[in-house]
Amino acid sequence: MSWLNVARLSDLAPDYPTACSVEGHRIALYLVDGAVYGTSNICTHQFALLSDGYHEDGVVECPLHQGRFDVRTGKALCSPLTIDLATYEVDVRGDEVWVCIQGDGR
Amino acid sequence: MSDVELQAQRIEWPKEGVSRVPFEIYTNDALYESEQDLLFKGPIWNFVGVDVEIPAVGDFKTNFVGDTPVVVVKSSADSYSAFVNRCAHRGSTLCYEKTGNRDAFTCVYHNWSYDLEGNLKTVAFHKGVRGKGGLPDDFRTCDHNLQKLRVQSLCGLLFVSFDEDAPELETFLGPKMCAHIQRIFSKKIRILGTFSQHMHNNWKLYMENVKDSYHASLLHLFFTTFKLNRLSMQGGLILDGDGGHHISYSKMATDAGGGTDYESGGLRAQNDEFALHDNRILKSWPEFDDGVTHAIQGIFPNLIVQQIQNSLALRLLIPRGVNGCELVWIMFGYESDTQEETDIRVALSNLVGPAGLVSMEDGVIGSFVQRAIVGNQGRETVLEMGGRTVESQESRVSEASVRGFWQAYRKYMRL
Repeated sequence: MSWLNVARLSDLAPDYPTACSVEGHRIALYLVDGAVYGTSNICTHQFALLSDGYHEDGVVECPLHQGRFDVRTGKALCSPLTIDLATYEVDVRGDEVWVCIQGDGR
Repeated sequence: MSDVELQAQRIEWPKEGVSRVPFEIYTNDALYESEQDLLFKGPIWNFVGVDVEIPAVGDFKTNFVGDTPVVVVKSSADSYSAFVNRCAHRGSTLCYEKTGNRDAFTCVYHNWSYDLEGNLKTVAFHKGVRGKGGLPDDFRTCDHNLQKLRVQSLCGLLFVSFDEDAPELETFLGPKMCAHIQRIFSKKIRILGTFSQHMHNNWKLYMENVKDSYHASLLHLFFTTFKLNRLSMQGGLILDGDGGHHISYSKMATDAGGGTDYESGGLRAQNDEFALHDNRILKSWPEFDDGVTHAIQGIFPNLIVQQIQNSLALRLLIPRGVNGCELVWIMFGYESDTQEETDIRVALSNLVGPAGLVSMEDGVIGSFVQRAIVGNQGRETVLEMGGRTVESQESRVSEASVRGFWQAYRKYMRL
């Protein structure tokens, strides 16, 4: 387990997730009411990057088939999704966004 | 009047009526295109499959209506849906498999995705990427569903129609045809196998051949050699649906205990050279109480229900251009069959199909016509066996059901 500095808070936008790639992990970061959340950037349905999708009020919509996840819990909210999304623990230190990485890339 | 109708009307029907058919009817490219619109997409019902082929929700089967590709799917516990197998976006084939199970139909080209009823549910990148591109705000998915067809069923046989004005399925079939379908499909069927064959002739030549009971004992030497079907046997023709539907039936003397006279040695071909070394292929049992051992039912325009002794089959004829067609066979028995009964049905299936001891000739005779009518100079075929009209007959030495086919064909094609 290690904490890594992956992004600047001032670079995050509320409407679109920000993609980052660290130690084999592809992560999407979301800004929700000033708080930052992190999930896997890869949809659990078919291969698509959620950072190409649309984010609104803590829900990200996959660009490919419009599956929606709660970015705070990773929970799959509708069909065609059947598998929840992995989430990452996030810590904001000033303008730095830190993410907790566990194990190898997933 | 549409271009299509004008093209079809260029063919002038002979003044004798349905006892003549212009050879051009089998060779005209414009007429072939007209058939797709006026006939197959007209106010009729097209067979596409059987309920047991798609038993679970999400099970689908691809097939053709005329030459238009379609998908039929069990869309809920008690309903079926059908739609053209073509994405509403760019027209790509949506579903490549013959059968399968899906919870949605997603096009490989741009990932547009439809539910089991053919409604557009999702469009990839509909919001673009990071606010750039994507669909206009006023794009409504409900305006871009798949092209849907009506679905109705009788005894598990699934039919579809493009035409909102088509009568109810049972009205289209008529009571006589419904009764015969109910006779064969009163019990749950079990599919024993399917196959298809390509034939090098216009599709209508095969349908005429099916309706032509006159040729059976003349063309099919297997029947006469082994005394299985002679025109002297009791039988007849039943016509309905403006003449487009027919049943040709006959009764072969069969020992109730099982086995034919042939097997017991009572019937032998006159020439002893023509004897089967292994006659298990002809073993059968009396299956229906009415004593009818052979019944071929033609449902206009392109479905055949077959009972040849205990060989039961559905045949769907798919037009493949003006000079070709594909015949899809579904061989079946019943879930309640014993192993011995199943074995008899499988053995009897040697009679049918592309290399069948009987059907082999049916698969090629149409091409004998097709290659001879090139350059026909407006000549025509003659259909006067059993008279010049369209009516049910006690004799099978008749072309009445072929004339019936043309009567119905002319009505739908406005010829």
